[in-house]
Amino acid sequence: MKELLTFLDVSFGYGECAILSDFTASVPADARIALVGPNGAGKTTLLRIAAGTLRARSGDVRLHGRPLTSLSQRAIARSVAMVPQDVEVPFPFTVEQFVRQGRTPYLGWLGGFNPSDRDAVERALDLTDTVHLRSRIFNQLSGGERQRVKIALGLAQNPRLLLLDEPTQHLDIGRQLELIELIRQLADQGIAIVAAMHDLGLIEGTFSSVWLLSPERSVRQGPPRRMLSPELLEEVFNCPSHRAVSLPQLLLVPKEATHS
Amino acid sequence: MQFILLLVVLLLAILISAGVGAVAIPAGVLLRSLAGRGHLTDTQRTILLAIRLPRILAAAMVGSALSVSGLLFQGLFRNPLADPYVIGSSGGAVLGASLGVFLLPPVSVAGFGTSALLAFGGAIASIALVYALANVEGRTPVVPLLLAGFAVSTMLSYSSYFLEVLDRGFGTGMRVLTSWLHGTIVQPTWPQLAIVGLMLAAGLCASVPLAQRLNTLALGEEYAAHLGLDVQQTRIAVIVVGSLLTAAAVALGGLISFVGLIVPHMMRMLLGPDHARLLPYTALAGAIFLLVADTVARTVMAPAELPVGVLTACIGGPFFLYLLRKARAEAFL
Repeated sequence: MKELLTFLDVSFGYGECAILSDFTASVPADARIALVGPNGAGKTTLLRIAAGTLRARSGDVRLHGRPLTSLSQRAIARSVAMVPQDVEVPFPFTVEQFVRQGRTPYLGWLGGFNPSDRDAVERALDLTDTVHLRSRIFNQLSGGERQRVKIALGLAQNPRLLLLDEPTQHLDIGRQLELIELIRQLADQGIAIVAAMHDLGLIEGTFSSVWLLSPERSVRQGPPRRMLSPELLEEVFNCPSHRAVSLPQLLLVPKEATHS
Repeated sequence: MQFILLLVVLLLAILISAGVGAVAIPAGVLLRSLAGRGHLTDTQRTILLAIRLPRILAAAMVGSALSVSGLLFQGLFRNPLADPYVIGSSGGAVLGASLGVFLLPPVSVAGFGTSALLAFGGAIASIALVYALANVEGRTPVVPLLLAGFAVSTMLSYSSYFLEVLDRGFGTGMRVLTSWLHGTIVQPTWPQLAIVGLMLAAGLCASVPLAQRLNTLALGEEYAAHLGLDVQQTRIAVIVVGSLLTAAAVALGGLISFVGLIVPHMMRMLLGPDHARLLPYTALAGAIFLLVADTVARTVMAPAELPVGVLTACIGGPFFLYLLRKARAEAFL
């Protein structure tokens, strides 16, 4: 499978504190990768490096074989879309006005929209099932709606790779399952997905690969079954596992996950 | 459609403003003479061309410049409470302009041009200072912004008084300075109007490509940068263009407060927050707003004239407090 994005010996740190060291991995064009790890392990950092907003301290990040440092941010944003965790909008933008910002890397000097820009916005609203929200004020949306609209902005960029930072955070379980369903649909459309995930129960069946990040060790990669074993999680999250649970537990699993 | 409506309102305001004053020129008489079917008396003609028309143009241009610079600064600071007066750029412009006045006689074209240029420099310097002081990780929260703006603008406008000491005898400098600090639209000469008109036109044209960029910048600096916006370049351009417009306004009207706050806010309530859409409407509505305010200011206590800055402060102060309360309720502090 053709590789979309590759990390070659990438290192990064804030000040003295090293976050990534000599990280090598590749994101194929049909990737469904979940980033798992404790807070501060570098999930968001990794996403930012992939999105071109942070520059690796050393090593090489390549998009379609070309180093990110040799590409303009506009060029990167036409292939890679980052959906951040929190977006704060100081003005009452409507959903449509918000999603239109996804066309920024395509706009000319005056910032006018042409028909292909409008089409991309419509398609993004359609794919995320947010057409009915278009005239609502972004700041007044519920958590689940907000998340879908943020993804719509990313899709308006026409990306090959969608980077999602904690897309299911702060959502109720119903909205979480809807969002997982959306991620699957997008992956089926041929968009590579890399998502930082805290809800480990949502990973299997949707993501085909897990990158396990921990502060002390280098990144480990593998299929969900192997990476999400109690022993590994116990070590990475530095917590004793409680396998004997006295309370009844409810685990909701996305539909097709049971037979995949 | 709404744009044509605003144009009609502007024309009506001009017609009314041209008619009221010590010598009344009824709108009917004015319209008939414009249509070539009647004549104004010589007194009426002189008053119209030498006094009222320059004053009308000055008020409209100052209002337009202040409103658009308010719109730009609100986008830059990602904060609907920014206004050239509140954030200190007017104060910087006044200090710059005062220097010019004391260097060269302000009535001459060169003198006025120097003042306007120094006002521009003063506005840029003060806004850059406030931005550096109030910026917290790419955000400019309300409280640091207002405090930094308040401190800088107080420092700057009061240091203009130092120039009083330099003023020998009873020069015109002091009178001009006083009228600036009160926010009076002085009776402009045609060359002065031409200079400010050029500054306004340049500022408005330069705002057009900035409008869509401000929409993107509203998402936050990091997000905007990810989308391929050159954040640093956009910020500098907004500071330069906003300061040019502030300087244009200050050169004719001095410290006129809150216009840059009220007009963009009203337009945002009517038309939504899209900067590209707001830009032309804000420019037009600003002209109408200050023209009406200045007409009221010069007639309400006739024969005495009220500085229009006093009037906008009276309307704008409570409005500003209302917005501040609303901002707190919406928690974007």
